[in-house]
Amino acid sequence: MPFIEIEGRRIEINEEGFLARPEEWTEETARLLAKAEEGLDDLTESHWAVVKFIRDYYLEKNLAPMVRKMCQATGFTLTQIYDLFPSGPAKGACKVAGLPKPDGCV
Amino acid sequence: MKSRRSGSSGVVRSPLETGSQSQAKRDALPSVAGGRLQTYDPAGDNVRRFLELLAGRLTRPLTVSLTACVHCGLCAESCHYFLARPDDPTMTPVWKADQIRKVFKRHIDWTGRILPWWVKAGSVHDDEDLNRLKNIVFGSCSACRRCTYNCPMGVDTGLLVRFTRGLLTELGVVPEGVFNVSRDQWETGNQMAVSEQDYLETLEWMRDEVRAELGDDKVDIPIDRPDCDILYTINPREIKFDPRPIAQAAKIFHVAGESWTLPRWGWDQTNFGLFSGDDRLGAWVARNVYEAAERLRAKRIVISECGHGYRSTRWEGYTWAGFDQRVPTESVVVTLKRHLDQGRISVDPSRNAEGVTFHDSCNIARSGDLVEEPRDVLRRVCSDFREMTPNRRENYCCTGGGGLLSMAEYRPLRLEVAKIKAEQLRATGAKYVCTMCHNCIDGLNDVIKHYKLPMKVVQVLELVSKALVLPEKGGRG
Repeated sequence: MPFIEIEGRRIEINEEGFLARPEEWTEETARLLAKAEEGLDDLTESHWAVVKFIRDYYLEKNLAPMVRKMCQATGFTLTQIYDLFPSGPAKGACKVAGLPKPDGCV
Repeated sequence: MKSRRSGSSGVVRSPLETGSQSQAKRDALPSVAGGRLQTYDPAGDNVRRFLELLAGRLTRPLTVSLTACVHCGLCAESCHYFLARPDDPTMTPVWKADQIRKVFKRHIDWTGRILPWWVKAGSVHDDEDLNRLKNIVFGSCSACRRCTYNCPMGVDTGLLVRFTRGLLTELGVVPEGVFNVSRDQWETGNQMAVSEQDYLETLEWMRDEVRAELGDDKVDIPIDRPDCDILYTINPREIKFDPRPIAQAAKIFHVAGESWTLPRWGWDQTNFGLFSGDDRLGAWVARNVYEAAERLRAKRIVISECGHGYRSTRWEGYTWAGFDQRVPTESVVVTLKRHLDQGRISVDPSRNAEGVTFHDSCNIARSGDLVEEPRDVLRRVCSDFREMTPNRRENYCCTGGGGLLSMAEYRPLRLEVAKIKAEQLRATGAKYVCTMCHNCIDGLNDVIKHYKLPMKVVQVLELVSKALVLPEKGGRG
């Protein structure tokens, strides 16, 4: 299994860069994933609002939320979500939130 | 990254993962219980069933492709896997095809039954051999058919790969991602398991966004409206993760005065049956779209920007479904071209001033024969359009084709051989690479990120939407 190593920590990820074990997610993991996978040095309050919503939704329903739900819950527009996470809701935000890779054409 | 490969062969040694198959069985999903979606049975007589299926499903085009190869090697030079790993014969299309060809020779063809050593016939002996075959036909080929296009003998290696995938799918010997997406499409009618409520809410949301943008409450995204000129069908990715193309289409259709609707059911034009080789899934998904068009008496089916969806819905689906084509089917790019040709929309190319290059999707150009229309549109909406080399039917795959985006286990190899694509993209010097395929968007984004290219991926709808000159208030619209 591949891993990323940042600041002395090793995190196992799958070949797509998604967390190997979604249950291992912590806020610190999110920071490392954001840096390694999205090039984000710092997660702002806005980033956390999106990440925490996705995380809670996933824990409750075992499913990645639709982008519609992300926008409704956080009050951000679609463009703002893309500004926050350059790789978009699936490969960006969901990845940082420690979700497994969504199935399908993504 | 640690590699699962060993030796000099690039073929990934990935074991058969059956976690989600077992879960589907435990959940007694209707598609599994009803025998539509196959799962792996370790106690099953899988090799015998594989050979029976092979014998039973042979067609004349398949037999031609199995027998006509003269091992000239021209296919090797057309394959990005081999171009990126030139010392690795297992990356050549002919080697990949030979892995099914030798089984055909051993069991079907008379030469191989009598003189197997003479024609290099061989067989599969156990489930491990079937799994190895899975890693070849799913893991080291994006089914882009560039080799097919360049074969002087007319051997369709893409067809052989899909045929072999179909045999393995029948036995549940498939990558987990392929199983998951097929499951979702069988269970929900769309490949991302979007619920009807989520579908309708997202369309309303996009309608409201366009209304706000244009300051016009007459903008609509109609659902199930009968007797329209256009039945618009989309990729579930547009609902689940990126609905911007729906808003762009709605805006342009509104300005063009288009009569259009989306169906409540039968809206997913994508089709994982093309990738898994399962003609039954292919038939069912395509039929949902065709029947929606008939139910609503639409004059035309329009397919949003999606490569495999275009090929499946426009071409292959009619055969899979045994469905007479009574309603014409086209890509939305053809619709946009008509709007421009008829003067129903006007555009300002200076709004897309930076360099744009075009990536032909395999399933649209090589396998769909739609080549000049997108160029015609792009030349009118961009002021700096440049071709990449090679282009049109000779273009290289985005590297994520054939369903590879849903198979994480093959990603390291995919990104390694993507260096051919990266060099081709870099040479254009363009800031934007435009593609009319959702799969290519993600495939190209992976290449751009991995090889650190200073480029962004866009779609035709996005560029047309940006260039669109809105009519004066009080005029049409």
